[in-house]
Amino acid sequence: MSRINISRIGIASLAVAVGLALAAPARAEDKPSSVGVGVFTFTSGPAAAYGMPGKNAADLMIDKINAKGGIGGVPVKATFVDEAQGAQGVIAEYRRLVSDPANQVMVAALSSANCLALAPIAEQIGVPTVGWNCDTHQLLADGKSKYVFRPNGNTVPEFAAYAIYLLERNPNVKSVAIINPDYAFGHDAATIFKAVLKALKPDVQIVAELYPKLGSPNYQTEITRLTTARPDVVFSNLWGADLENFVRQATPRGLFRSSQVILALGETVLQRVELPDDVIVGVLGDGWWMSPDAKANPAAVEFADAYKARFGEYPVFPAIKMANTLIFVEAAYRAAMEKNGGKWPSRAELAEAMKGSRIQTLTGTTETRSDNDGLVDQIVGVTSKVPGQSATTITEMVRYKGDQLMPKVGTDPIAWISTLTPEFAKTLPKPGSYK
Amino acid sequence: MLNAFVPLLLDSLANAALIFFAAVGLTLVFSVLKILNVAHGSLYSIGGYLAASMCLFIASHHLDPHLSFVALLFSAVLVAVVLGPLIEFSLIRWISGKSEAIQILVTFGLFLILEDLQRIIFGVQSYYEDTPMRLLGTTTLGDVVYLNYQLLLIGMALAVVIGLRFLLRSTRLGRLMTAVVADREMALAIGINTDRIFLIAFSLGVFLAALGGALSTPTSGIAPGLGADTMVLAFAVAAIGGLGQIEGAALASLIVGAARVIAIYVAPELDAVAPYAVMLIVLLIRPYGLLGTVNIRKV
Repeated sequence: MSRINISRIGIASLAVAVGLALAAPARAEDKPSSVGVGVFTFTSGPAAAYGMPGKNAADLMIDKINAKGGIGGVPVKATFVDEAQGAQGVIAEYRRLVSDPANQVMVAALSSANCLALAPIAEQIGVPTVGWNCDTHQLLADGKSKYVFRPNGNTVPEFAAYAIYLLERNPNVKSVAIINPDYAFGHDAATIFKAVLKALKPDVQIVAELYPKLGSPNYQTEITRLTTARPDVVFSNLWGADLENFVRQATPRGLFRSSQVILALGETVLQRVELPDDVIVGVLGDGWWMSPDAKANPAAVEFADAYKARFGEYPVFPAIKMANTLIFVEAAYRAAMEKNGGKWPSRAELAEAMKGSRIQTLTGTTETRSDNDGLVDQIVGVTSKVPGQSATTITEMVRYKGDQLMPKVGTDPIAWISTLTPEFAKTLPKPGSYK
Repeated sequence: MLNAFVPLLLDSLANAALIFFAAVGLTLVFSVLKILNVAHGSLYSIGGYLAASMCLFIASHHLDPHLSFVALLFSAVLVAVVLGPLIEFSLIRWISGKSEAIQILVTFGLFLILEDLQRIIFGVQSYYEDTPMRLLGTTTLGDVVYLNYQLLLIGMALAVVIGLRFLLRSTRLGRLMTAVVADREMALAIGINTDRIFLIAFSLGVFLAALGGALSTPTSGIAPGLGADTMVLAFAVAAIGGLGQIEGAALASLIVGAARVIAIYVAPELDAVAPYAVMLIVLLIRPYGLLGTVNIRKV
């Protein structure tokens, strides 16, 4: 063999060795030393009142997963991103995190606006991105998402449930006023709520629609406007500190006495603010830690007690949504590894495992449809002070099945809502039926 | 007719009072020191945080809840006494007479420092303390229930306007301030301690900013970001009234308050832009503001 041939063989061997070394991290069977998860939520500012329970729940769940040895023996390492920095900052953080292959999955995000901003990037780069809150139905409307998932459901069933519950409980309602935050979540909720009322009781009048800026600290003028409009019902999906401010300012001014108030996210403030009785509240899904299903589930009870012990209050529904999302992610890893013989999954394999999944959560089930949207039940009830309990609780509950209030895949939600009839509403469970 | 007018009027006045408290300190400092203090909003929110913290302390230690009224005032005094001289000595005195660009950059730097300090000291979560609001109860006018605290704020804003006018027109200190504003060199020549006047005027501006923040806490939560929002609104009001014009700030607060209320009643989607639409219209017609002149060194 000549010297030239020996050199060629040496170079070729080196090239193969380098190629193999470079290819190694991409091979599915190599388990990493840890799996990175980006968790996006509000940890500062007015929205932190909603975002921090999510972060707390993520901390608790990840500690619990790691205490059991991690996922498939791989510990989970979370990186938290504060959504209060605005969409541009959130996008930059997302890009930074996903550029590291060790960060395999993103739990993003809380804000509908941020979810809408991140979704195209997730699809472009191919990163499984699970919206832990992300309510807007616009997120997965095109049905083409491969990497974006939302196991906790969307605005259509969430707010249709309130309209249906209201009409069952107050069938003679004639006028409604709305006060929602001025961005996609607030406007989407108003559109859906009004559309359901129009379909089921067309004579209901909308006498005022207010959309204060997200993060507004003062609602005095809005409260006067709502009072002078004299509506039978005031509907609101204000949240976080906005909701606390609104409740604290509206209560002494008698708004809860003059109108039937619906606070779609009212459960989040039950342990912090004294809400009057008979306010219609819910949990935008099934994440009520004291629901009959949750109380019957030892894992949910254990989670609620651990949360209370660590953070000083019981988990409000954003905490449950986060916990259920991490259960969804963990289940996807297990399913993906089971499918490929115990090997560590790639991002694509992980996303594939999320599709069509049906997962038992702390408070019920989440079923992922072909458009990657989740089917979850909707719990609605009214506030009530129960003897022996220090905080206000929810009674007269109803639990609508996940698919009952969700339009079929590919259907325009508003067009679907317009097909609803009073006869359809009669087929649904009644207030007080969920015990 | 009356039933429709009374809510509009009261809401406008209540809004104007809150807006006036946010803007008057900025206007006073500009009128005397000729410095646009970008950190003004931070001083407002520090006043709010301190007042809320004191009221929470009073509540948690089961002290007389009426002490919370004292706490509102005391927190503003404390901020003024501690931060006023500190900032004036360390930064404001140094940038006095420098170009506007340097003044704005330095006070913007101060704004960033104060915002981060608030996050370190008070955390990132919202503060709520509504004891003063609850103690004062409510009043029903027409069919609408109002918080007596809202009515108190209107009265306090009026008292501040009258008090400042009295200070500047009828007291020795006020006349000295007016003299310094009119001609600093001449004031120095006749023996007025202009440094002392600047220190007092700046500290008074800090007090008014902190008082605004403190008085807003019983009806509004305090959270990170409040300082920036307040700053933008205060600038708009100061520009509408005419930079450096106390009465201009009061008039502008009334107009902006009414504009916001009318927007909420008639076209809610314009609520957020109402103050700036008013500013645009006013500055197009009167570039120096409603009460401003080409020579804006009036008090």
